[in-house]
Amino acid sequence: MAHQAHAYHMVDPSPWPLTGAIAALLMTSGLAVWFHFHSTTLMILGTILLLLTMFQWWRDVVREGTFQGHHTPPVQKGLRYGMILFITSEVFFFLGFFWAFYHSSLAPTPELGGCWPPTGITTLDPFEVPLLNTAVLLASGVTVTWAHHSIMEGERKQAIQSLTLTIALGFYFTFLQAMEYYEAPFTIADGVYGSTFFVATGFHGLHVIIGSMFLAVCLLRQIHFHFTSEHHFGFEAAAWYWHFVDVVWLFLYISIYWWGS
Amino acid sequence: MNRHIFEIQKVALRSFSSSVRRQLDNKVPQKQKLFQVKNDGIPIHLKGGTADALLYRTTMALTILGTGYVVYELVKAAFPKK
Repeated sequence: MAHQAHAYHMVDPSPWPLTGAIAALLMTSGLAVWFHFHSTTLMILGTILLLLTMFQWWRDVVREGTFQGHHTPPVQKGLRYGMILFITSEVFFFLGFFWAFYHSSLAPTPELGGCWPPTGITTLDPFEVPLLNTAVLLASGVTVTWAHHSIMEGERKQAIQSLTLTIALGFYFTFLQAMEYYEAPFTIADGVYGSTFFVATGFHGLHVIIGSMFLAVCLLRQIHFHFTSEHHFGFEAAAWYWHFVDVVWLFLYISIYWWGS
Repeated sequence: MNRHIFEIQKVALRSFSSSVRRQLDNKVPQKQKLFQVKNDGIPIHLKGGTADALLYRTTMALTILGTGYVVYELVKAAFPKK
């Protein structure tokens, strides 16, 4: 019987990278087909394939770590590096949209009236719902830290409660932001103001939803006894991601909502 | 005497908890046993049983059909009908 002479994880052959790649192909081509030929079938098929891939791939990671014990300290270190690098790439993604915002708002063109906010744009009051949203996300940062400490201290019930509260706050943010989008006196088509506002806050909102889903999976895993007080990297990764989402919002709030109003 | 008190406490806890919510048992050890069956050659994505195989086949079927469909649409888009 062969045993590996190292602490690393040589994964079983897996079909999910292929199905994921095809899903990306279908989603992107489907987008083009939707734009030109008004059919959404390809794009929807791609999205379904993406969801199936994500579910099965991450299910397999849980099996490999929690049920098979492959996540030794060196493997966990690699996973940490991976998550940090991924979040770094997301930081650069948002940096682009902030660049676009500052490019347009620091030197507003004559077409905008030479001022920022541009002529004719009624901005949102930064001290109303946006300030509430800031409080909601900051509070969720506290509750997720509470959850982490609860897990580390073996407090099962408290971990479940604080994690649930974090997710609830995330959903509350999304709900408030959706209401703001509906009630806003300007749209994405309202010049560069509209574009920078909705693309930057829109991608942020998408990341809030992704983060909430990640935390929800962690809640299910916590309920099912997957996490130990010493080993709960999945939760840590979700918490890192959540803090990142919170920090992006703070930059959005200061730049676009407050300075930009 | 102490054991008698302990038994009463256990019974009280049992009846209280069953009236509050259903208890979730820790099934991780069973899962660990299932997935640590060695030398069966089954890869992780199929090791859970029939449900795994069904989900895999559905996903792969959609992948292959999707690939065919996208090639068809792209060829169609590349040769526009006047």
